[in-house]
Amino acid sequence: MIQKRLHANRVLGGVDLTVRYRPERPPVLDGQTIDVPIGRVTMLIGPNGSGKSTLLKTLSRQIAAERGVVILDGRDIATLSAREVALSLGILFQENQAPHDLTVEELVCHGRYPHRRLFDPLTAEDRFAVEQALTLCGAGPLRDRPISQISSGQKQLAWIAMLLAQSPHYLFLDEPTTYLDLPHQFDVMNLVRHLNRELGCTIVITMHDLNLAARFGDHIVALHQGRIVAAGAPEEVLTTATLRTVFDIESRLFRDEQTGSLHCVPINRIPAAGGRPR
Amino acid sequence: MPIMQGADLHGMQSGGLLSAHRSPWRLTALIAVSLLVVCAGGMVQLGAGSYDMSWRQAWEALVDPHLWEHPSRILRLLVGEGMADRLGCERCDTLPTSTLIVWTVRMPRVLVAILVGINLAYSGSILQAVTRNEMADPYLLGVSSGSGLAIAVVFMFLPGLGVHLPLLAMVGGLTAFAVVYAIAWSRGTSPVRLVLAGVIVGAIARSVETAMHYLAQDSSALRDATAWTSGSLIGARWEHVLMVLPWTSVSVIVALCGARYLDILLLGDATAKSLGMSIERVRFLLAATAVLSAASAVAAAGMIGFVGLIVPHMVRGLVGSPHRGLLLGCLVAGPALLIGADAASRLILNPLQLPVGLVTGAIGGAFFLILMRRKRDFGRL
Repeated sequence: MIQKRLHANRVLGGVDLTVRYRPERPPVLDGQTIDVPIGRVTMLIGPNGSGKSTLLKTLSRQIAAERGVVILDGRDIATLSAREVALSLGILFQENQAPHDLTVEELVCHGRYPHRRLFDPLTAEDRFAVEQALTLCGAGPLRDRPISQISSGQKQLAWIAMLLAQSPHYLFLDEPTTYLDLPHQFDVMNLVRHLNRELGCTIVITMHDLNLAARFGDHIVALHQGRIVAAGAPEEVLTTATLRTVFDIESRLFRDEQTGSLHCVPINRIPAAGGRPR
Repeated sequence: MPIMQGADLHGMQSGGLLSAHRSPWRLTALIAVSLLVVCAGGMVQLGAGSYDMSWRQAWEALVDPHLWEHPSRILRLLVGEGMADRLGCERCDTLPTSTLIVWTVRMPRVLVAILVGINLAYSGSILQAVTRNEMADPYLLGVSSGSGLAIAVVFMFLPGLGVHLPLLAMVGGLTAFAVVYAIAWSRGTSPVRLVLAGVIVGAIARSVETAMHYLAQDSSALRDATAWTSGSLIGARWEHVLMVLPWTSVSVIVALCGARYLDILLLGDATAKSLGMSIERVRFLLAATAVLSAASAVAAAGMIGFVGLIVPHMVRGLVGSPHRGLLLGCLVAGPALLIGADAASRLILNPLQLPVGLVTGAIGGAFFLILMRRKRDFGRL
């Protein structure tokens, strides 16, 4: 059942994490330590290949670290069963696949998988969680529509509803807004805020859009070449100096008076040393 | 067997044959029609043959009170003379000829068709989900290669083991599956690796088999081996029924219990894992079930093609991709197709009989032709 999450005994963090996809290549994540603030929205930012998705997948046990441990609620995540992990954390991937004729409601019901044993039918509790997830994501009216026949924004909301039916405490979203139009970007981010503020979910998001990261993130972690360069509140991390190191860009930052959040205007790329493109 | 990469389950457009809504009446109608076909085809099979009898005679033989009032006579027919004598069953000498023919020759053939139809349809459904490839069929993971090779070896070199051929064919198929899985495994496996490993083993086994046929001196052995590999229900006996039945039961139970797991597998490995599925264990168990099911079907009836490929296709088109409905549909549609094809194989060139595998091949080809003409994006990459 989805209810206000309690924060007692919640811990999520990684110590000395090193991840390598090929043994002969340099590590994608290089001995990094991270503490995810509980009950907050954490944004992982950085250019392509900086290791932000890798960090997200390592924290959510999609990838095993070559070295280092991930601690989930006081236990080494590698020692937990897949089901135990699924009961406390849910992941939205960049790309999803489903049979064309699968309806939104059927998809959301699959979110109850970790709660059901081999012969368990869908219980009243399961139904309740599914309904609540559909309502939270505004996907109720879409329930009978095949997943292939709704817009990509609606699709994203349907997949998030599946995560919510899982009723996890931690939500990991890998670039949830990347392919969406502006209104749906806000739909997704407002939902994220609601899940965090009202339900107390701890949320980790990888994001390319710095303005959305600043507006909806409580805690920002900037990565560059497999290392965490800066971590902290948006105003601590989003500085012209950090953006120069992380993205190789010249930028101007200002605070919008109405929203009170930081905005970043990228100006240009800094020419690489030696004049050759990286 | 056709293996078309990329024609995956997600590439199929809904619409036309496929319906978005799951209306229970479609499944009900499918079950009703299939049962009708099974009964009609079954009656044709009971009546037709060199000892010709009318439908009425066939029916009377089926419900012959000489048997039904003496259950131990039925037992004798089921377990064979030797075992029956030991059990002290009543003798069947006094039975009318028509009853004997129906009960010893024709009914087993119908029952084997039902069981093999279920096995192939279930095996195909499971493997299509496990490999997330709509063109997957029961022989994808090495069953045909292993069984084919075992059959060739027995006919060419070890004719003395001929009586154990069904068992050896099954063992061959399962061995090949083990080899396929071992090749595909590297810290876990994936649908694509499994399919590729199946292709590799298939290619090698087929060349060895062809080489053996080529070098064979005895042309009658060659002919027997070909008959086996083209799949036929001619000569099906009670022993075949009893041999397949346990594996049919196992695969039906496992598949129906695992319907939800099959659904989750279609969401992709990453999502399945994130939902808490022990994906390698589930995939192996389901694949092994499918392969056992296919191998036992081969043992009883040889390699009947296309049934395992088109039945899940047709049923999915009618009731949608969720596996509970799909598998329930396959439970009756598989037997319906195979019995229908077997009745056709007997009637087309009557009194000559064709191996049913040839008929299913023709039906399968026609089915895909229609599908391809009607749907522009069929098999889209």
